[in-house]
Amino acid sequence: MSGTLGELEQLVLLALARLGEHAYGVSVREELARRARRELSLGTIYTTLGRLEAKRLIASHLGDPTPERGGRRKKFYRLLPAGHRALLASLHAIERMAAGLHPLLERS
Amino acid sequence: MSRPEGLRDWLTTRLLARLPLEDREALHGDLTELHHQRTAAGSSAWTSRIEYWGGVVGAAMRYRRPPPIPALSQPARRPRLMERLWTDLRVALRGFRRAPLFTALAACTLALGIGSTTAMFSVLNPVLLTPLPYPGADRVVGVWEREEDGSRSTIGYATYRDLRSDSRSLAAAAALGLGEVVLLGDGEPERLTSLRVTAEYFQVLGVGPAIGRDFTPEEDIPGSARVAILSHGLWQRRFGGDPAILGRTVVLSAIPFTIIGVMPASFRDYLEPNAQLWTTLRYADQGWACRTCRHLRFVARLAPDVAPLAAQRELDLRFEQLQASYPDDYASAGTIVVPLQSQLTGDIRAALLAITVGVGFVLLIAVANVMNLQLGRALRRRRDFAIRGALGASRGQVMRQLLTESLLLALTGGALGVLVAWGGIRLLTRLDRLSLPRLEAVHLDGSVLLFAVLVTLVTGVAFGMAPAWLAGRKDLHQLLKQDGRGGTADRHRLRAGLVVAEVGLALVLLVGAGLMFRSLTRLLSVEVGFQTDHLLTMEVRAIGEQYDSLAAVSLLADRVITAVEALPGVEGTAWTSMLPLGGDFNRYGVQIASRPVENRSDAPSADRYLVSPGYFSVMGIAVRQGRAFTPQDRAGGDRVAIVNHAFASSHWAGREAIGDRVQLGGADDPWWTIVGVVDDVKHIGLDAPPVPQVYLPQSQWMYNEGLGGLVVRLTGDPAGMMAPLRQAIRALEPNTPITRVATMEQLLAGSTAERRYTLWLFGVFAGIALLLAAAGIYGVLANSVQERTREIGIRSALGAARGAILGQVLGQGLRLAGLGVVLGGVVALVLGRLVDGLLYEVEPGDPLTLVGVAMVLMATAAGACWAPARRAASVPPSEVLREE
Repeated sequence: MSGTLGELEQLVLLALARLGEHAYGVSVREELARRARRELSLGTIYTTLGRLEAKRLIASHLGDPTPERGGRRKKFYRLLPAGHRALLASLHAIERMAAGLHPLLERS
Repeated sequence: MSRPEGLRDWLTTRLLARLPLEDREALHGDLTELHHQRTAAGSSAWTSRIEYWGGVVGAAMRYRRPPPIPALSQPARRPRLMERLWTDLRVALRGFRRAPLFTALAACTLALGIGSTTAMFSVLNPVLLTPLPYPGADRVVGVWEREEDGSRSTIGYATYRDLRSDSRSLAAAAALGLGEVVLLGDGEPERLTSLRVTAEYFQVLGVGPAIGRDFTPEEDIPGSARVAILSHGLWQRRFGGDPAILGRTVVLSAIPFTIIGVMPASFRDYLEPNAQLWTTLRYADQGWACRTCRHLRFVARLAPDVAPLAAQRELDLRFEQLQASYPDDYASAGTIVVPLQSQLTGDIRAALLAITVGVGFVLLIAVANVMNLQLGRALRRRRDFAIRGALGASRGQVMRQLLTESLLLALTGGALGVLVAWGGIRLLTRLDRLSLPRLEAVHLDGSVLLFAVLVTLVTGVAFGMAPAWLAGRKDLHQLLKQDGRGGTADRHRLRAGLVVAEVGLALVLLVGAGLMFRSLTRLLSVEVGFQTDHLLTMEVRAIGEQYDSLAAVSLLADRVITAVEALPGVEGTAWTSMLPLGGDFNRYGVQIASRPVENRSDAPSADRYLVSPGYFSVMGIAVRQGRAFTPQDRAGGDRVAIVNHAFASSHWAGREAIGDRVQLGGADDPWWTIVGVVDDVKHIGLDAPPVPQVYLPQSQWMYNEGLGGLVVRLTGDPAGMMAPLRQAIRALEPNTPITRVATMEQLLAGSTAERRYTLWLFGVFAGIALLLAAAGIYGVLANSVQERTREIGIRSALGAARGAILGQVLGQGLRLAGLGVVLGGVVALVLGRLVDGLLYEVEPGDPLTLVGVAMVLMATAAGACWAPARRAASVPPSEVLREE
């Protein structure tokens, strides 16, 4: 398992955790825009998803084509146990580092 | 509506071309979905469009290909390996589809190589390798007397009896003699081959009768009841598989025998494959049972854990004792004990081994050729590999791909090769003239297929290695930069080496075939000593009590001649006790009156013929001195003899043979006065050296030998003559079996069948080798010319003559061929002794053959060079310069 997670990777993994079995390009993009207020290009999102898949943190499968997609299939993503563990480890590290710092940080 | 959408999709696909297929489709779908959402939410067409294209361009710019999937953890390995293999296979198949000519050529070449090797193995396997189908077959041996020169000799009964008694090495032993009997009864009288054996014969072989019982020792003494054991085939054919066969009486050559057993259907007597029944020998210490009457074969089953050589040592000791006790009776040096298997294959082994080596060469040439094709193809795909390398394929991956291709090619070739082998085996077994032992066991079975698979895999790896190694070794980026010019010396040297090897191997095969061809032509031009055309031969026997007397047989013999000569189309006819080239021989020790020898075993031996007066004129045997027999040489008159030229010149050198007297057989036998000398007749075969021959008048011989061979000189074609002949003889005596009918030309062809067969096989393989070698030269030159098109074009633009370019390319090819011829010539000289035994009056290093074959090969090579050379000479300079 290579290294720690980048910020974008964390966000995407969190989006997948939220979306469950409905995670695909458009829904991940919307989730990131709505909650993290990050407008990301689909190219960036797919790059991140591809990298996570290469790290064997997530897996993908192709769904059915729909008319409003011009007859193209969706590529669904889901968290793998390894992805789950990596996400938890990453979040715990941030929580431990941030513990008690909120008042201080918000003041300055 | 559809047109702008089609254009949009097309452009999107172009812009996203860099993405892997799955991601491209999903992303394209996502963009379309977002576009729909915006339109549905009321955005204006233009806004939607701008946002859509913004998304496409953004995605295209932002997208980064994910890193390659890292090394796999253990449990996931297996499916990934299969997947990789599958990919390799798909790529290989696609490659083959794109190069159909290469694929067909390579697969056919391999099919020829693998097919001929497999076919040959299917012959070798049962004939030389698989044990005989007897229990403990490795312990069944033949025992022979060993002559001073190391050759084998059959054995006398007394010697057999003394050698086997109390022997510790032999668990069982038997003597056997060939018998020929005429079976009378329902239907045609039939001549059968039988074996006369001592009681333990079937115990030696380890197979007993399926019905009834084996012989007992009491049935193997003179005067005992006559009993017979039948083969399964004879029982079925002549007795309709009668279940009550045991105890029935069968009349063999007018003597009744009681049937006591039937052998199993699976039983084959490899000592005499034609034997259909077995009777006991019934010898004891008298008559034919002497020590010098060496007419029996001796087989034995060794005791457990006794090696043939150990048995031979024991028997040699006993033999020395016998020599000491009976010094007059033995001229042999000792004994020979050989496993039955090698005894049976002895004669044919040399031919089979030579052919096998030849086939091995064909396979090697085929592999070299395919390797060459692969190298040429690898060259054309250099850029392809380089690009793959640039895209991240490792050297291992490229090598694996090449190996997969090679194996796939080998498997295709192997599958076709099995077809070739199947046809080859059918062809090989049809030519049963070769008198191969166990030919009936030759077929395409599991072990043969396994062999084919092994050969295929080994070949696949062998010719996959070189290109894969080259691809792995060369820096791929380097290759990409070179772009076909220079820097490929390694590959050139390898390909040139392969061509040299191919030519060399082909030369060795051609030399072998050439030597055999020369032997055969020498052999066919040999004087046989008589006129072979328009001569019909057959064997006729006089059967039954009425022909027990010499006079009765004599009378019948005369009447047959009169009746046959009365037929239209018959010029003349005569009797002989044995037909030249008929496969039998009858040899006697000859005592010469003017120079008698003390010890009878030192007397010269001669082929003995009993003939009727017309024999020499019917056969066309020239009388050199004296006279031929006449009807006046009758029983009761002066006993006369005629000897052949070889006998006269070797034993009466300078002196007149005519008038001298000879004695055949023992000291009590009569003397014969020589009245004539005739030409030598080839009796055993065309390659046999001339041996002494003695002719005696049939009517003056003192024992009843019951007719024999009949030769009929015809004025016209033998076809259609047999029916009237048969009718004429049967009219005189209906019970007379007429067998072995053949024209003399057929007998002659039969005596050279083995040579012609070996030559034919070798010729076929040599032809294949020549073709493959020519293809190899062509391939290398064509490639080299293609690579150097630019160079050649520039040279001709600078004024080089067409002839010079033509000559240069031709020279390049001929240099390779010449080197191959020289190296192959050396190998041919070294391997020459392999075929020495198959040659007749031709030395393995025969210069005429070597030079002739070399010229054929060089001419073929020149032919193969011609097309590429012409192409090189006709390269138009303008075209090349335009390219520059």
